[in-house]
Amino acid sequence: MTVDTASGAATPDVPVLKVAVLSFAHTHAASYVAQLRDRRDVELLTADPDAATAPAGELRGREFADRHGAPYVATYEEALAWGPDAVIVCAENARHRDVVLAAAGAGAHVLCEKPLATRVADAEAMVAACDAAGVVLMTAYPVRFSPEFQTLRALAEAGTLGTVLGATGTNNGKVPAGRAWFTDPDLAGGGALVDHVVHVADLLDALLGEDAVAVRAVTNRILHGDDPQVRAETGGLVSITYAGGAEVTVDCSWSMPDDGPTWGGLTLQVVGTGGIVEVDPFGAHVGGLVDGGARPAWLGFGENLDALMLEHFLGCVRTGEVPGPDGRTGLRTLRVVAAAQESVAAGGAVVRLTADPVG
Amino acid sequence: MTAPPTLTVGLVGAGGIARAHAPAWRALGADLVVHSLAGAPELAAAHGGRAAGSLDELLDVADVVDVVTPTPRHLEVAATALAAGRHVLCEKPLARTGTDAVALLEAARAADRQLYPGHVVRFFPEYAALRAAVRAGDVGTPAVLRFARGGMFPVWSPWFADDAQSGGVVLDLMIHDLDIARWVAGEVTEVFATRRTVEQDGAPHALAHVVLTHADGAITHVRGLWGAPHTTFRTSFHVAGDAGVLRFDSAGAGGVRTDLPPVPSGGQDRPAPAAGESPYLTEIREVARAFAASPTALPESDPRHPRVSAVDGVVAVEIAEAALASIESGAPVALDTAARARALGGTPLPPHDTPDLVTTGSRA
Repeated sequence: MTVDTASGAATPDVPVLKVAVLSFAHTHAASYVAQLRDRRDVELLTADPDAATAPAGELRGREFADRHGAPYVATYEEALAWGPDAVIVCAENARHRDVVLAAAGAGAHVLCEKPLATRVADAEAMVAACDAAGVVLMTAYPVRFSPEFQTLRALAEAGTLGTVLGATGTNNGKVPAGRAWFTDPDLAGGGALVDHVVHVADLLDALLGEDAVAVRAVTNRILHGDDPQVRAETGGLVSITYAGGAEVTVDCSWSMPDDGPTWGGLTLQVVGTGGIVEVDPFGAHVGGLVDGGARPAWLGFGENLDALMLEHFLGCVRTGEVPGPDGRTGLRTLRVVAAAQESVAAGGAVVRLTADPVG
Repeated sequence: MTAPPTLTVGLVGAGGIARAHAPAWRALGADLVVHSLAGAPELAAAHGGRAAGSLDELLDVADVVDVVTPTPRHLEVAATALAAGRHVLCEKPLARTGTDAVALLEAARAADRQLYPGHVVRFFPEYAALRAAVRAGDVGTPAVLRFARGGMFPVWSPWFADDAQSGGVVLDLMIHDLDIARWVAGEVTEVFATRRTVEQDGAPHALAHVVLTHADGAITHVRGLWGAPHTTFRTSFHVAGDAGVLRFDSAGAGGVRTDLPPVPSGGQDRPAPAAGESPYLTEIREVARAFAASPTALPESDPRHPRVSAVDGVVAVEIAEAALASIESGAPVALDTAARARALGGTPLPPHDTPDLVTTGSRA
């Protein structure tokens, strides 16, 4: 008797998909490569042509591919000429647009890292291009697939939460290290506001099924204020009003100290007339002290959310089904971020959003 | 050597907060006289005191007065007691409006008597520990702070649900954390707030968010909830600075954790401290020490002055009032609590990086 230890169910009915990971700029690329490399229903190719623009010392390009055991080509053109069924775009935020448009032009389905873009107009162009090409566009919001959020959603859908009054979301993490572009506003589109508001905004988008109608934000740069590499806001509080009246505040700060026991986390506490439900999808861990007591332990044992998200994406690629967080979700949540940035630029004024037919 | 005469405390009001204050005064050995529109004989009997038929009758026998009436009565009762030459501990909020709070402060100044607002959260050991650690520089410069507080909607007394009387969840409940945020992160320059109130199946619910901008750039989120009838009272904070993070959640603290029936009726229990004695006792001991220190007003610089001043109480009302104005207008409201504290004759809170001096230990 044999056992089957590879993931992914490739059978004569489920043909192998060709998937290209485009760019290693985003640190999640390592996770995606590891997942896809080990699936028997996926053939993997990678390309990272912008590797040369990264600062010295960042593992990128062919070296990264070799380290992670992934086949590699030097250019996006070669990767797309290979005829991938799908691509995963892990480029710097500001470069998403060009890569996604090229992939759509080649007829590949797209999973794009979040935020979908750094400008609303870019995201609109990406949604339009994928629509025109008839390909799936999904935004990489893995927390959506956590069992904790699914429980919250089920309780809301069952009516247990009652009318939602509002919510408090937190997405706090260490200041991104190892990839300098995350704290470069030109490539990232901003700082903590851009990095961390979208995840919570995605969960609320799924939970409420409503547009944000007003956004107000304040930020500061006290955390890592003396680090010349960090050229964007590191602390932020964003107030969001949804169309149905729910009042939300999001703390998006990079407030996990560098020496913290884990990268950070995300929590969402939703208050309804039926009660309170609070989820902490990254909270499952074994704690303690290690290294002779010098260091707190954090042994996370939650689900691999990237794997759950990839499973969903590949399913959508096979069936043409619209993904859970699609391009329009990415666009709507980016509008919240753009409004927050506009609010900050206006000294904390409230920014009203009007519904857009594309979103 | 003769024993000092026993202090007689006049407690005006006999509701939930009176039930927390009465045993604290008794524990300090004070005699208790209670006056209230309702419930005074029962409260007095439960704590070994006696009831007074009128405020005048209470003032005839009370050395000091503890005002624990509903908010709209604070100004009249406390000002009357001050004019009669009594020191006053007045439950928070000091008054329903900033104007009334200032009037009460002026009444205390005119009478040359002591007035303290009952901001009891400053006496909860977890908040006192936070403040001391932040002042000591343990988290570096505070950057982003979150405070949350909530429980069931206070339906046991109808005036809470009336904004005109109580100021709702913002003025009645969140004023605790608005005061703590200022105490921990310093003076406030801007307030933005949102609130949603929903009545469902006859049950009211209110959720509010307040975002404060502090003078040195720190930002604070305060969330308050008067929620569903089964909501367990819970408080939490998360304070991030450039050198560390401090957090607390009452749901996860303490050496004893119980979740036992029944659903509370006739009022939710006052929140229990994470450890140690009742913070109401800590508060009242500190206030009683100040009362005993001088027959007249006590300067803030006096080491026997409590850790919270009447000016702090006025400023807390003004921050909450700014939050209510922001909810009303939908726009941020600018204010300058440092200038207000100065104008009211108080001392603005020092910047975060100035550790308390031993000589001002009363504010430590």
